[in-house]
Amino acid sequence: MTIEVRFSVMSPEAGVHKGTGGFPPGMGGPPGPGRRPGGPPPGMSGPPLAFSSFAKRLDTLENKTVYLVDIGFGGGYNFMLQLQKWLAKNMPSVTTFVKRKPGMVFSDDNNDLWEEVKAKGDAVVLGVAG
Amino acid sequence: MEGVAKDNPRAASLPLVYTPLPVIGMSPEVLDKFIAGNDPQTGKPVIDEIIEVLTKPVKVKKTDSPPPPPVKATTPELFLKKDTEDNLQQLFYDKGWTDGLPIILPTEERVKKMLAGTNAAPDDVAVESFDFSTREVIKYTVRNIAVIAVMAGAKPEYFPVILAIASTRQPAIMGSTTAFGTMVIVNGPIRQEIGMNSGIGAFAPLNQANSVIGRAWTLMSICWGYAKPDKSYWSSQGNNHNYNNNCVAENEERSVWEPFHVTKGYKAEESVVSLFRGWAFLSTSGAAAHRSVGEELNIQLAVMPPLNSAATIVMDPLVARELKDNEGFNTKQDFARWMSRNIKMPAGQYWKTDYIDMLVASEAYKGVEPYASWKKLPDDALITPYHNPDNINIIVVGGEKSPLWKTSTYGYMGSASIDKWRVKKSNK
Repeated sequence: MTIEVRFSVMSPEAGVHKGTGGFPPGMGGPPGPGRRPGGPPPGMSGPPLAFSSFAKRLDTLENKTVYLVDIGFGGGYNFMLQLQKWLAKNMPSVTTFVKRKPGMVFSDDNNDLWEEVKAKGDAVVLGVAG
Repeated sequence: MEGVAKDNPRAASLPLVYTPLPVIGMSPEVLDKFIAGNDPQTGKPVIDEIIEVLTKPVKVKKTDSPPPPPVKATTPELFLKKDTEDNLQQLFYDKGWTDGLPIILPTEERVKKMLAGTNAAPDDVAVESFDFSTREVIKYTVRNIAVIAVMAGAKPEYFPVILAIASTRQPAIMGSTTAFGTMVIVNGPIRQEIGMNSGIGAFAPLNQANSVIGRAWTLMSICWGYAKPDKSYWSSQGNNHNYNNNCVAENEERSVWEPFHVTKGYKAEESVVSLFRGWAFLSTSGAAAHRSVGEELNIQLAVMPPLNSAATIVMDPLVARELKDNEGFNTKQDFARWMSRNIKMPAGQYWKTDYIDMLVASEAYKGVEPYASWKKLPDDALITPYHNPDNINIIVVGGEKSPLWKTSTYGYMGSASIDKWRVKKSNK
């Protein structure tokens, strides 16, 4: 005769307290100078973006200024350089600037570039690579 | 990567264009092909999509506007449905609650015994964490951690160490495409009281306390959602150090230097756990036969550009004794300062390292020294990338059978008191 023993066991997910209100101090982001890694990956750490429309699009890129912005993730800058070359060759009336965004890859530390883009630019291509 | 972006409410609504991966390290010719070639997600030319996104109205899809609020998970039942051991083992695996190895089933009786290993009340909140699926902050109680400690195979006397690890709020597993490794160092009287290994084979799978305590840290991360592929975990290769996170005790008795926790301001009689994380971890293949230990370390670390000057050297007591008795390094700090001054690499090698460019270059652009000055140097100029000796950690572990060491660029993540979680002697 076979005896089947059944176990009553506790769930590792049970009884936790859920809530909102942001992340515990020190969580979020990668390691870096003056910073310890830990917590959710970057981009997870903020609220969802709330908007109902995007900026008005351009009718054409002809004679416009486009910022090609590398966020600092590996490979992004070289990609933007090649994109700049493509535009120079194929759409020569487009003025382009390749820039690296301010601050570490996962966060800005000032708005200087974004102010420059607003003042001088017509469009932005923001690049991530990896 | 499209799936990753769609799962992230901060990115899901944005007009995104994809190229093949990887982009990093590709030649200009390959990048040109990516630009002229097709988006792997849509099959349309990448350059056409870029121009289209800039020149044609982009509508926020109804389903994306605004992004849906997080879905609150239903509170799980405290007990799972009764079942056989085999079925429950399979259930834990299927639910993503294990590291792939069998677990000890957390029966109520076992959890109750585990809770007797701490002075803390079962409902005390031990740590806050983050739930990736619901994007909520979760408070885990001492009982929650006791369940995981049982699953890992812990004895009640190990539980205060596991609680101390949990209290640091550091996950064993990181949400990164890279392969972070981790290390747990235990100092103080509890090492011997619970039978941790700091001697022969301390890093080997030989000792119950070392194995189980380190495993419990990973099970916390797994059960709390940090290791769901393509949801919270993207490491291309992963890191098998995470099976027990290099959990060892420092060999304080055989060390000629003060214990690690004392260098961090704790009293020698306190029991403390310290955590480390990083990428490169090298076990030396031979002793310093024809060069000094310092010269050997120079060769090893000179090919490992550090973040924030971080290095962690775990050396056998024989090595520490050699450094003190024969080379005059009276303290760990003395040797850290020597390494800081003498380990050099070309500036070009440093700045052309992916993660240095990604994470440190911004400091140089802001004018933070020494990075700003290093950024101006020619590629062949030598820099001292381990410039801050305070971030060079030295730990003594080993059984004095051979003068070997382990070299890593692991950074110190912090320490936590174990004693606050222990059963007070008067309560025993």
